[in-house]
Amino acid sequence: MAHVDLDLPAGGSLLLAGANGSGKTTLLRLLAGRLEASAGTLRLFGLDPRRHRGTVRSGLSMVAHHLSLYPRLTAAETLALWLRLGGEPAPADRVRDLLAEAGLEAHGNVEVGAYSAGMRKRLALVRVRIERPRLLLLDEPFSALDSEGRAWLAEWLAGLRREGVGLVLASHALEWSAPLCEQGVRLAAGQVTWSGPAAALLEAGG
Amino acid sequence: MRLARQAWLIFRKDLLLEWRGRARTVSVLLFGVVTLVLFSFALGPEAEPLRRGAAGFLTLALLLSSVLGLNESFRLEQEDRALEGLLLRPVEPTALFYGKALGSAFLLLLLALILVPAAVVLYDLSPTPAGLLQLAGLWALASAGLAAPGTLYAAITGRLQSQDVALPLLLFPLVVPVLLGSVKAMDLVLTGDPMHQLRSWALLLAGFDAIYWSVCGILFPFAIEES
Repeated sequence: MAHVDLDLPAGGSLLLAGANGSGKTTLLRLLAGRLEASAGTLRLFGLDPRRHRGTVRSGLSMVAHHLSLYPRLTAAETLALWLRLGGEPAPADRVRDLLAEAGLEAHGNVEVGAYSAGMRKRLALVRVRIERPRLLLLDEPFSALDSEGRAWLAEWLAGLRREGVGLVLASHALEWSAPLCEQGVRLAAGQVTWSGPAAALLEAGG
Repeated sequence: MRLARQAWLIFRKDLLLEWRGRARTVSVLLFGVVTLVLFSFALGPEAEPLRRGAAGFLTLALLLSSVLGLNESFRLEQEDRALEGLLLRPVEPTALFYGKALGSAFLLLLLALILVPAAVVLYDLSPTPAGLLQLAGLWALASAGLAAPGTLYAAITGRLQSQDVALPLLLFPLVVPVLLGSVKAMDLVLTGDPMHQLRSWALLLAGFDAIYWSVCGILFPFAIEES
């Protein structure tokens, strides 16, 4: 990536558009601290993510194309593990509420490996509730979801936005993602080729 | 405290996943038994050479089985990039190391329940009850000595297509002191210890365990960070 100059205010939202291989996922992984930039400056919450790793990571969540789920764990076990790793208790009613939020309450004791792609995505997304991030990074969140699932996700993300959670979203599904974001950029070959309101990005067809 | 809690949760999660995928664990156990059987075929029907080599055969069966188990342990983390999710949670990389290394050591310890009785039968051994206890202790020390560097190297090689080959190539030279200590100490238990050397060899094993568990715990966070 080169010549990427972006500034997102706290609680703001940014849509990353661009063709496959344009650098959207790389930018998200840089923001998440999973890649280190060879040059330039990156600040999250005003901090250098490499020097203040713990503080920065505790403030952000990322749901990537790979959902980071264990196929042999049930959904209830997955959520309980996530709660406990963060130092919280995992009472059954809390886990049940999270499952209900994802629409998975009837499948809580089923191993994740038996889930459809859409169910797996809902489970991965609802884990974000446990993490309570200030900034949420999403890579193609609308993929693998049917129209009902996309509507659920759009409403769910709109709820997070109303709670003040910042959002950086890489997506091809502009009709769903643009209404959720204020700013938008188009990437090509690792560079920003256009920036402006996300709605204008939708009108321009990405 | 946070580190210990996270390590314990990772350890429990790994054991649960091993239990759910127990066909894999059983295949590791069978592999160990088959290794012992093959050694007995290679040396022929004479009981004496088998008894003399029993400590070495047991240690080699443990080492070869450990490679299979360690490879699988990190394959679980690479599936669907579960490891990345843990690091973003954020789970302390050091907690991740100790949780996974403890899980691997525990599973290697379980191998003793099958492999030691199998060796007793196959190699015509007759250890005393006290000797069996000593063997169990030495097996635990050897398992710990393999699990810590094995976990570190499994993390390093986990992203490689040639993981199955790369892990033993990297691991085997590093664990030579554990192999030597384990073979010598188990041999003293099985064939007699007239010079009272067992304690020294056990301490040597424990010393290397302490070094491996400390150094690998320090290096592990660097091994799993992408650059």
